[in-house]
Amino acid sequence: MKTRSGRLELLSFFLVGCVFFLLMAGGLVTSHDAGLAVPDWPLSYGTWMPPMVGNIFWEHGHRMIAGFVALLTLFTAVCIQRSPEPGWIKKLAWTGVVLVTLQALLGGMTVLMLLPPPVSISHACLGQTFFCLTIALAYYLSPASRKSGLQGEDPLLVRKLMRLTLLTFLFVYLQLILGAVVRHTGKAVYEHMGFALAVVAHVVLVQLAVSRLTDARSPLKPAARILAALTLLQIVLGAGAFVFTQMIQRQGPAAPLHEVVFASAHHTNGALVIGLAALIFVMSRPAPFGSHRLKAAV
Amino acid sequence: MRLAIFFFLLLLGLESSSSAASDISGKVFFDGAAPESVKLDMKMDPACAKLYSGPVFSEEALVSSAGGLKNVFVYVKEGLEGRSFPAAETPVVLNQEGCRYSPRVFGIQTGQILELTNRDATIHNVRATAKEQNSFNLGMPMKQMKMTRQFEKQEVMVPFKCDVHPWMRAYAGVLDHPFFAVTDESGAFTLRGLPAGDYTLEAWHEKFGTRPLKVTVTEGAETPAAEFRFSAS
Repeated sequence: MKTRSGRLELLSFFLVGCVFFLLMAGGLVTSHDAGLAVPDWPLSYGTWMPPMVGNIFWEHGHRMIAGFVALLTLFTAVCIQRSPEPGWIKKLAWTGVVLVTLQALLGGMTVLMLLPPPVSISHACLGQTFFCLTIALAYYLSPASRKSGLQGEDPLLVRKLMRLTLLTFLFVYLQLILGAVVRHTGKAVYEHMGFALAVVAHVVLVQLAVSRLTDARSPLKPAARILAALTLLQIVLGAGAFVFTQMIQRQGPAAPLHEVVFASAHHTNGALVIGLAALIFVMSRPAPFGSHRLKAAV
Repeated sequence: MRLAIFFFLLLLGLESSSSAASDISGKVFFDGAAPESVKLDMKMDPACAKLYSGPVFSEEALVSSAGGLKNVFVYVKEGLEGRSFPAAETPVVLNQEGCRYSPRVFGIQTGQILELTNRDATIHNVRATAKEQNSFNLGMPMKQMKMTRQFEKQEVMVPFKCDVHPWMRAYAGVLDHPFFAVTDESGAFTLRGLPAGDYTLEAWHEKFGTRPLKVTVTEGAETPAAEFRFSAS
């Protein structure tokens, strides 16, 4: 039988998975130019369940997943609130509820205001911010967070790693904003491509810093390697998205499959990159908010 | 006697106004090989797909065998400044029929009523993306549903799109005068009742851009036929 903290851990991992699925669905809405296929909000054509024809499938599907994620976030926060977890974890969980609510409002605004770029870009960025928060929450609820892998390491290296992982996360986040600008306005394409170099440089620096940790079993090591692999994949997908969305003119009125695949994969893999950058950042902070969590048993 | 004078003056007025106005007829041609039409994939909505037994093609560029270009919006761009014309009382109807807009290209006066009608047994949305005035996005989920809108400012062109069915596109030329026309299958058009004066006409096509043409309408004289030529480059 699972302990209460075990159940919370599972719940938070399930939430991370659902948010990732939601981000993927959101990316597909944009890739199919389906953001305004349902003109009203919060209802869809005046009902909760319109016929899922044409691009309504993507837009209303995204709304249904979003509704489920919002309820799941609230349920998770209530469960954490009722658990003996420390106050800061409870606050983190309720911050998630606030973010998902804001995200829903931004989603509604972007539909009712006919996709104004500032609102659509904010919606894209807040979604990924929420994803990072759920990852942090799942990490802090997991047993991995109770074992700091950085004890016994060179304090100078630890400080450097903390600074570096924070910078890497911020650089990836800036790159996310630039990517959202490209996706919703078609501008800043070359800035986005150029800034990728800064992100790559930081990912390499994180990899180098992590390789100097004496603990061979530090979870930071595989995490940094995966981050490097995902970043490389992101560049390949970005190049594909650039070719199919910027260089090759559409032959028909609808987005062709190869354009949808590359643009959506670049968007989805971008979520993995920022999520992992956020995870590495929280993992590299020894006892960031105090590691005195009670092991809650049922 | 007074009545006779009244009718005499009325006839005189009609005569003078008709001699001061002229029609401009013309044709729009496409030079070179006609572009290939893109086949539309309507599978995403079975209600649309079942309406057609064979393949359906995009109406983006329709060129006749003689080179006439259909769906070109021809209008007076300059030369009517300072004059005002009341909006036509008859509404312009934009149908959603067969999962397409009909007409695809049309003109409308500012203040004139635009009637949107859904004749399909499926859901449509009508999104007009204007730059000079408020855009709108209307849900039309039921067959025979009607809605009306008006435009307040001139704008050439206002694109219309159905986001449910991404192949559905239409374009409206919004003008504060009634001197506009859309070319037919042969590329022919007629601008009717244009007062005497010097004008700049413009022909607009959704794929090939715009072409200007200067014309002079002289009182009592026939205006030479206008000709516009578009090409792929």
